[in-house]
Amino acid sequence: MPLRLLKYGLSRRYPVRGDLPPTPDLRPAYDVVIVGGGGHGLACAYYLSRYHGIRSVAVLEKGWLAGGNTARNTTTIRSNYITPEGIAFYREGVQLFEEMSRELDFNVMFSQRGQLTLAHSEATLRSFHLRAEMGRHLGTRIEVVDTKGVEALAPLLHMDYGGALEIVGGLWHADGGTARHDAVAWGYASQAARRGVELHQRTEVLAFERVGERIGAVLTNRGRIGCGNVLIACGGMNYPVALKAGVELPIRNFPLQAMVTQPLKPFLHNLVSSVSLHTYLVQTDRGEVVIGGGSDPYQLYSTRSTLDMKEHLAAGAVHLFPFLKSVQLTRQWAGITDMTPDYSPIMGASPVENLWLDCGWGTWGFKATPVAGKRMAETIATGRVPAILKPFALARFGSFRLLNEMGATAASH
Amino acid sequence: MSRLPEPWGTRIDRTRPLRFRFEGREVMGFAGDSIASALAADGQWMLSRSFKYHRPRGILSMAGAEANTLVQLPGQPNMLAERVALCEGLEVRAQNVSGSLARDRGAVLDLLGRFLPVGFYYRSFMGPGKDAFLRVWEPMIRRRAGLGTIEPAATGGEFIAAHLHCDLLVVGGGLAGLSAAVTAAEAGADVILCDENTMPGGAATWQREGAAALPGLLARVEAAPGLRLMRKTTCNGWFEDNWLPLIRDGRLWRTRARQVIFATGAIGQPPVFRNNDLPGILLGSAAQRLMAHYAVRPGRRAVVLATEPEGYRVALDLAEAGVELAALADPRPGGSGGQMAAVLRRRGVEVIRATVEEARGRRHLKAVRVGGRWIDCDLLAVSAGEVPAWQLPCQAGARLGHDEATGRFRLSLPEGPLGLAGAVNGRGGAEAARADGARAALEALARLGGPAPAPEPAPETAPGAFALPVAAHPKGRDFVDLDEDLQVKDLIHTVQEGYGELELLKRFSTLGMGPSQGRHSAAAAARILAQATGRTVGEVGVTTARPPVGPEPLGLLAAGDAPVERRTALHGRHLALGARMQPAGAWWRPFQYGDVADEVAAVRQAAGMLDVSTLGKLELRGPEAGAFLDRLYTMAHANQPIGRVRYCLMLNEMGTVIDDGVAFRMAEDRYYVTATTGAVARVYADMLFWNAQWRMKVDVANLTSAFAAINVTGPRARAILQAAGSSFDLSTAAFPHLHGREGEVAGVPVRAMRIGFTGEVSVELHCPASRAVPLWEALTEAGKAEGLLPYGLEASRILRLEKGHIIIGQDTDALTTPDELGMGWAISRRKPFFVGKRALEMRQRLGLSRRLVGLRFPEGGKLPGESCLILRKGTPVGHVTSIAQSPTLGRAVALGYVHPEDAVEGTQVTAKCRNGTLVAAQVMNHVSFDPDGRRQEM
Amino acid sequence: MKILTCPMNGPRNIDEFQSFGPMREAPDPEVASDADWARYLFQAENQPGVVVEWWRHVPSNYFFLAERDIVTNRVLRTFDPGEAE
Repeated sequence: MPLRLLKYGLSRRYPVRGDLPPTPDLRPAYDVVIVGGGGHGLACAYYLSRYHGIRSVAVLEKGWLAGGNTARNTTTIRSNYITPEGIAFYREGVQLFEEMSRELDFNVMFSQRGQLTLAHSEATLRSFHLRAEMGRHLGTRIEVVDTKGVEALAPLLHMDYGGALEIVGGLWHADGGTARHDAVAWGYASQAARRGVELHQRTEVLAFERVGERIGAVLTNRGRIGCGNVLIACGGMNYPVALKAGVELPIRNFPLQAMVTQPLKPFLHNLVSSVSLHTYLVQTDRGEVVIGGGSDPYQLYSTRSTLDMKEHLAAGAVHLFPFLKSVQLTRQWAGITDMTPDYSPIMGASPVENLWLDCGWGTWGFKATPVAGKRMAETIATGRVPAILKPFALARFGSFRLLNEMGATAASH
Repeated sequence: MSRLPEPWGTRIDRTRPLRFRFEGREVMGFAGDSIASALAADGQWMLSRSFKYHRPRGILSMAGAEANTLVQLPGQPNMLAERVALCEGLEVRAQNVSGSLARDRGAVLDLLGRFLPVGFYYRSFMGPGKDAFLRVWEPMIRRRAGLGTIEPAATGGEFIAAHLHCDLLVVGGGLAGLSAAVTAAEAGADVILCDENTMPGGAATWQREGAAALPGLLARVEAAPGLRLMRKTTCNGWFEDNWLPLIRDGRLWRTRARQVIFATGAIGQPPVFRNNDLPGILLGSAAQRLMAHYAVRPGRRAVVLATEPEGYRVALDLAEAGVELAALADPRPGGSGGQMAAVLRRRGVEVIRATVEEARGRRHLKAVRVGGRWIDCDLLAVSAGEVPAWQLPCQAGARLGHDEATGRFRLSLPEGPLGLAGAVNGRGGAEAARADGARAALEALARLGGPAPAPEPAPETAPGAFALPVAAHPKGRDFVDLDEDLQVKDLIHTVQEGYGELELLKRFSTLGMGPSQGRHSAAAAARILAQATGRTVGEVGVTTARPPVGPEPLGLLAAGDAPVERRTALHGRHLALGARMQPAGAWWRPFQYGDVADEVAAVRQAAGMLDVSTLGKLELRGPEAGAFLDRLYTMAHANQPIGRVRYCLMLNEMGTVIDDGVAFRMAEDRYYVTATTGAVARVYADMLFWNAQWRMKVDVANLTSAFAAINVTGPRARAILQAAGSSFDLSTAAFPHLHGREGEVAGVPVRAMRIGFTGEVSVELHCPASRAVPLWEALTEAGKAEGLLPYGLEASRILRLEKGHIIIGQDTDALTTPDELGMGWAISRRKPFFVGKRALEMRQRLGLSRRLVGLRFPEGGKLPGESCLILRKGTPVGHVTSIAQSPTLGRAVALGYVHPEDAVEGTQVTAKCRNGTLVAAQVMNHVSFDPDGRRQEM
Repeated sequence: MKILTCPMNGPRNIDEFQSFGPMREAPDPEVASDADWARYLFQAENQPGVVVEWWRHVPSNYFFLAERDIVTNRVLRTFDPGEAE
């Protein structure tokens, strides 16, 4: 038994750590106002307060902390992207996850069990080779495996030899893994709060006051606050919030659904996903199998679930693992994703001087929580966009410098 | 153990005994028993060990939802013992035990509970080293994780999906539901009534109250013409526009209902006190169900906890079944069971004005402490309040509120084709439920357009309700959520840590995340949280209700799935020729018939034929067909002469190449256009979409499946067609390259085009799919003397690569422009508009970032594979998109992207092989074979 | 499953339809600035509320317009593009 737990067992009273302080009253002004109390916003607040000495920070969350896509995602962490810019960025994200639990003194249960993406066609395999070549060139752990390799990594997988969905190989990404999504946000929130960052739950942004080329103040349902810099990092609400500041983002919102089975004794070690089936599976440390796939087929700001998507995900899951047919599903849910035209995020400057963007995270934002937080904090603190973020600028669309990651996000997120 | 005499046991057939095994031990039951009832009859109350502390657990509700009753069946983990009907020879095992259910070594965790506070895993298991969690701690956690076990070989049984439609779906066949269903059906509506039990009637099947009304209602159900009663059928969710999955065993009915009435009853809420999880502590209704349905005596000596009149009825039922009543605890100040209390007193049952404070026992209940006094008993039946079954209504948009004055939860529905009836609507009790069902039916009928104005709902039947007893104990083991082994202090500590919002509390503590999804913890958790955070129960609320309502097997959800597979009209020919088939998108295509090099050689030296039926085939007709193509494709088509075939290249609005093919102008107002196999569905939809906006005078028909196509190619192609017999002149002069003809070949009507991917003389014959086999046969026959061979995809890829033809999607990606491909020649400069033109001009001004070129590698050296990187000063600037060994040239031919400055023929570039070796390559023209293109024009 | 009412085929399950996204007004390519054209390419209506969008009824290949609230998913109206003017 870890020694840390002795404290709980041996003390007479439960030793309260007080991870999340209650929402305080709003002050008249803050150096930085972060709109959105999800993983990204909280991470940015943490890095600002810990590494840049900026402690006058308010995180505004209209609901409860980390209650949006941070709470709803399926926790895939990986860097097996296509573009060199994307790989370099997400690689740093994975590295930060490796240190996160100890950095935050909060076990986020980062587990690099590896991700196996399946190819059912030569064309997919060819695209895997490209991702593997690029990833290896940039120092990530990634390789294409043949059918023997797939069988070794996921022995219970139905290979469908001779069938229309025959597995012809896979992309093995040893750096891939999962973490306890809520814990990531709580860890950042807790450490940020300890350094003076204020967490304001049930605080909704109603409008921004423009003063020339700058945001002068943020109007909330709890009052007006002055601001030095503003960061927009509110997931599914990025588009309407940015529009309140006069910034139009190239974003469309789509629901993303997922579901989970009852707990089973562990049988699936790695993350497994199939591009052709639009399905991925991961078994959590509770034993539940989390199943996800592609986005809904039309634009919507709603976290409703559909039977159609559930049936589709179930079909993919039982194709890959036929014995799952008799396994019971417990719950399905949805998040609202903000999709960009090139399936890459928008980070950095906006047309408004002191307004910064951490948007367009679509279906793939969780894995970037630490690196986006760290680099956006650096951006805000120095007023300069670091090189690693520059390719993700909003301005890339007008100059067709797109970072097309569609192939790397279609089913794995 | 003997069963109670009849009329107890309405569900069992005592003439049909069944034998089954539990944990290896043989047990007897009867047909009609559930696993749980048969085991209870046998005295086996412990069914499982709990998730975290491995405490003994058993029946709580008999409604079938809790982790308490999950058992392992062969190939079927996590099955609800209260729901699964017994059958002969069933092998039932306990889950989540180390050793046996009775002696579970995991039970040591119950003693270590102090060291495992709520969320303990966030506080520990972190070091040493950055991968300690992965290497050390997580494997330890995973060994303890999960409940049931999968069986890799299990097939999971048969599942079927179907559809149902009705005017009104009534969910729940209790008195309210029955009454609603008959009222609506008798008024002429088409009604489905689904009920999850083997017999409808709900509480009236296990209680005395309402039992008298049941036969009359059931007779009306039988007699009603438009009423379908679906027994053992669960409505497991509500989805937009009244789309509801009804499930029974291996069947899923996706049901569309014009109106829905939820008559789903209420869910009993267990009180909280120390050791409230012991087997032998049951909801009162569970005790009643065991007796009434299965003739199982739930104990020998009972204490009843009643905070509502229902509890007194439970006590009377127990007494009638011969259970010794030790006491009835009723903590309500001034509360009474009225006459029932008097009856109990006359029987010598003590009514104590206190609640149950604590229980004790090791594997089963031994005693409870009431008002400070320990009372021996092996059964505690609790009737301590309930919550409307909120899951389905809340999925449909209802809100669950709380009346602080009465202490009751109540649902309010949004406007729409939805209704509530009975206990779920706060109208419990037989008469009130019946009346409320009829009212709800009349309202639904009115919404369906019927005349009937519905009566106002009767006032709620809330008796002087009493808040659920929550007696936290300093030593804990006072469980709020049995599924997740959460105690009162766990919730308090969670709040103290800052997770006071209910959804945060749920996530930190895992409250309500177990198999029963918070069914039996909602009321207690809301009360505890309200108290701890200084809010009202209503402000705290319940967590979002998500589908499904109860567990549902994945196989059932996958039942409607049938993957699409397409075969060309020549599929049988390919198989007969021994082709190795390969899936290409949805299609099966021949990959190779024999030796690929032989197939390539046949094409280069004699002739080959390829089944190209999977090509997209679109026919455009109308006076503006040419103008329409001009707007869609980059080349000029309106000025294309009749009888000519022209290459066509499609861009998206971004200026990216997305498809190519050919357009054959068959008449002034008619074009026949091909698209690539994978893109045709999208190209066709895009054409229709653009024309919905442009509204030009053109129709587009998708003939992809209607036509088969065979490409005959090679120096002897013309001779073969001549031998097969054609109705048109095949000579070069009469039918040159890039021309098209309509006529007959071998008596089969064809659209013939002088096009091909191989660079040889090629004729592509498109014919009705029904005539493809005769055409293929005739060509085979005619080709015998000429050395004709059928060839597959692999040879086709080599042939095209020798000619430097691109494959969209392989040699292009989502950003490729025609300029990057060196295909500026395919862009008409004169047209004022085509899709992608404006973006292409913008991108041209921004400059090229890469170019696709031919690559030549030193002979005999190491070759990169497809997708290997092209480096420039160590930085990736592109990759090898296609590479193959050319049997014709005896060397590798390749295409790849290089830096635009390196795109000049003769430039040396560096490719990185998969093993990391760097190799030099020379940039050259795309076309490696017959660069002048003379052969195809012969 | 949600129901969408096709102006030609009446109410049908939404899995018979394909979404083609919000209606976009293309500027005149001859006169539009690069910035305006880029905006046309990359921006789409996404403001919470009612959006006019294109749908295709796949079995009949009929394209039509719908006014749909992208927050509540309620469809206010569906109509033939000929009625749009």
